[in-house]
Amino acid sequence: MKKKKQGKKKLPLPLPKKSVFPPFSLSLEGTLGSKTGSWRYLTPAYINKLAPCNEACPAGEDVEAVMALAGQEEYLAAWEKTTQENPLPRICGRVCFHPCEGACNRREFDEATAINALERFLGDYAYQSGKQFSPPKEKRKGKVAIIGSGPAGLSCAYHLASLGYQVTIFEGQPKLGGVLRYGIPSYRLPKDILDQEIENILSLGVEVRTDTRLGKEVTWKALKPYSAIFIATGAWKSVPLQIPGEEAGRVMSGLEFLQKVNSGETIKLGQRVAIIGGGNTAMDAARSALRLGAKPLVIYRRTKEEMPAWEEEVAEAEEEAIEFIFLISPVKIITESGKVKGIECLKNLLGPPGKDGRPQPQPIEGSNFILQVDTVISAIGEVPDFSFLPEEMQKSAGSLIVNETGTTSMPKVFAGGDVVAQPRTVSYAIGSGKKAAIAIEATLQGKDAAEALRQARWGEKGSISMDRYKQGGLDGPAEEVVKFSELNTAYFQPKKRKPREKLPAAERTSGFAEVNLGISRETALEEAKRCFNCGVCNLCHNCFLFCPDMAISARPDQQGYAINLDYCKGCCICVEECPRGAISVEVGK
Amino acid sequence: MKKLLTGNSAVSYGVMLSRAEVISAYPITPQTTIVEELSEMCADGRLPAKFIRVESEHSALACVTAACAAGARVFTATSSHGLAYMHEMLHWASGSRLPVVMVNANRAIGSPWNIWCDHSDSLSQRDTGWIQLYCQSAQEALDTVIQAYKVAEEVLLPVMILEDGFFLSHTSDTVDIPEPKEVDAFLPPYKPRYKLDPNDPHTFNIMADPSVFIDFKHEAQMAMEKAKKAITRVDREFKARFGRGYGWAGKVHLPDAEVVLLTMGTTASTALEVIKALCQQGKKVGLCRLRMFRPFPAEELCQVLSGAKKIAVLDRDNSLGAGGIVAQEVKAALFNLPRRPKVFEFIAGLGGRDITPEDIQEILEYTIKNPSPNGQPLWVGIQK
Repeated sequence: MKKKKQGKKKLPLPLPKKSVFPPFSLSLEGTLGSKTGSWRYLTPAYINKLAPCNEACPAGEDVEAVMALAGQEEYLAAWEKTTQENPLPRICGRVCFHPCEGACNRREFDEATAINALERFLGDYAYQSGKQFSPPKEKRKGKVAIIGSGPAGLSCAYHLASLGYQVTIFEGQPKLGGVLRYGIPSYRLPKDILDQEIENILSLGVEVRTDTRLGKEVTWKALKPYSAIFIATGAWKSVPLQIPGEEAGRVMSGLEFLQKVNSGETIKLGQRVAIIGGGNTAMDAARSALRLGAKPLVIYRRTKEEMPAWEEEVAEAEEEAIEFIFLISPVKIITESGKVKGIECLKNLLGPPGKDGRPQPQPIEGSNFILQVDTVISAIGEVPDFSFLPEEMQKSAGSLIVNETGTTSMPKVFAGGDVVAQPRTVSYAIGSGKKAAIAIEATLQGKDAAEALRQARWGEKGSISMDRYKQGGLDGPAEEVVKFSELNTAYFQPKKRKPREKLPAAERTSGFAEVNLGISRETALEEAKRCFNCGVCNLCHNCFLFCPDMAISARPDQQGYAINLDYCKGCCICVEECPRGAISVEVGK
Repeated sequence: MKKLLTGNSAVSYGVMLSRAEVISAYPITPQTTIVEELSEMCADGRLPAKFIRVESEHSALACVTAACAAGARVFTATSSHGLAYMHEMLHWASGSRLPVVMVNANRAIGSPWNIWCDHSDSLSQRDTGWIQLYCQSAQEALDTVIQAYKVAEEVLLPVMILEDGFFLSHTSDTVDIPEPKEVDAFLPPYKPRYKLDPNDPHTFNIMADPSVFIDFKHEAQMAMEKAKKAITRVDREFKARFGRGYGWAGKVHLPDAEVVLLTMGTTASTALEVIKALCQQGKKVGLCRLRMFRPFPAEELCQVLSGAKKIAVLDRDNSLGAGGIVAQEVKAALFNLPRRPKVFEFIAGLGGRDITPEDIQEILEYTIKNPSPNGQPLWVGIQK
């Protein structure tokens, strides 16, 4: 039947004549006239968020950005990104206990990304490429004295020198490094690596005064001309066992022992060495004693579960066939003519948790027994030595008292590392050195240090970023940490991480050769590519491909994507399909 | 060049020779080897086409339909449930008047689960606006692919080529592969009148309101009428160049037959042998193999069949509650003839059951013996 003519009049557009009728329905113009954006009640927005590894890194590294650069094989740029926050990637890549990996979202998918191994690779790669720190662009007025050259002191010196300040490090020992040199054995951290990273920092023009103890070679008064002082003297005083016989020869503290080993002194240990304690110092002491030819025995008063040492260190000690006895407390060191003969011990039961929440050992009366040993090394804890600090400086039982900015009770005197109350790890020390550098810089510039640090923080766990400080902080939403549930894991392939290679246990104990081996360039790249890049747009193009309105386009500056709100009808498919949670939904805009 | 090819392989050669530019398909038995071979041809460069892998038949047809709208010569293939899954897109392809060419290797539709041949899959899509051509041999499948592009691009309708699953798709036969030069001369590149072009943006398939919708459908119906002539003409041209032709109905063996067996697909080959033998016994029987089911050649059938007294329609399909689909259409076509033959309906070979020469002989003898059908289709070989 033919169409009735009156039907045509109602149409908004005149119909073409039947002779030019297209065979199918076809618009006269394109779709640009149809602004579907007017339908929108939800609006997607590109908002980069915080990756959980960044928040978890005590040294404040931008782990996500480092992984992204490494994934593009931009290893030197990745090293620069790392060292913006932490000048010691070769060291951290070996000794950090990597809380970043503990927070890694990939753990819920298959296994955490090997961030620590990659950091070591980047550090070593940059060193082999002859990479050095760039000198500061401008000199700033202000001289800062840093007391102690462990990781906190070195980190503070690096950041202040990079900002253009004149820095002097005072170190009581003949060489720089503090716990890195005199505490950590070289099978975990070879000395040449330590020397190289220190050298790199010193090349920024840092003045050094070694063999200079505070209160001896330099007085507190003599530090007066400095605009600020950073105290990073660590925790070097061993907690005594407080049992009879402790004063005998061949009874020493773990730190004292490690210090001697690390200084290359010859130590007579005898055959059987008892190490008292279950922390990292105990593990280091036991493993060092083993390497010196002795037969170490670790005595711990609780069980293996309660040992404060890092799991990996305990595992390595076990691989090396070091003996452990648990639920045992020493009560007396048996001596004969001033020499250790044995150690009298008591068996314990594990009791209910004490004030610190840890189960308390309860001695079993009459369970005494004697172990024949030649040397006793006590490693039951360390506390800071305050003897060289001014009396008026406020202290608590085990630490210097500092406020939120790391300032002590004395103006312009800051403190960080093991001397203050914080977890005693290299990365926390590095973080506190950086925190002090920012607080010092803000104070010297007449700014509010607390506000400066607030702006520089990564998330809520105390991680501080120099990069964010320099940028003056970012807006609120970027503080949000991306959860695993916010990722679209359909876009990721399961891929196991490569286990870290180690020297075989049999080859380790004859000397102090490094136990953990590095990863190859191929493995480093594979690991970097395993990173989800949580919360940060990496131009994967998914949003562009999925937008049904073609409202998303790549920005001409290659810095992400733009949304044309004239056409975005707010379906938010882009938000759903973003693999890494870098797009947020805003209601009503 | 002659080669021993299966029906599926012959189809792949047909697609290669037709220089398809975009291919998208999802594997399903018994079609799979068509696109398997095409993907190899794409990979090794024999066929410089874009091969798009998809997650479903719905997407496969959506892909090739869109590519066709953008001006490409396209191909897809499927079977059974895959074709059913394409149902919505079948309408869109034909409504958009796009010359998409598809091969469906006929296979029963479950349940019960079955991978073997019958025509219920394609016949349940008879109203989707696609031309349907049923092939009898591997050679015909190859030739029909080339012909199909020519017809489709002329009348702007999609073409579905049907080959019996396994009987044709997986059986080898000698196939003469035409020279590419000759095929190029026969089938020039596709030059669409309308295509999606970012430099001249238009929306395709915009809403057509009640004042124009029926006109588009009428246009498509006219195109179907045109297609009847085009199919016959293109087949003639093909025969002139390549020496092979098939017409709207394949070999019609009708020497003054009083009883004519009408069927589609490979069954016709078996039937021909039976009919030849019966003719030698002096029986006046003939064969009509229907090649073109859509558009339905009603007028042509009237001409051919009006002289016969009885028609036996052998359906390899059944419309539940009605009967054989081909029989219904044949009856409707003959209805207005002043002296129409009686139509006997038979259902056989569903789900791949063999239709044997004995079955066909029985069908013909039943038709000869009985003066008129008993009102119900007869199901061949039902277990008692």
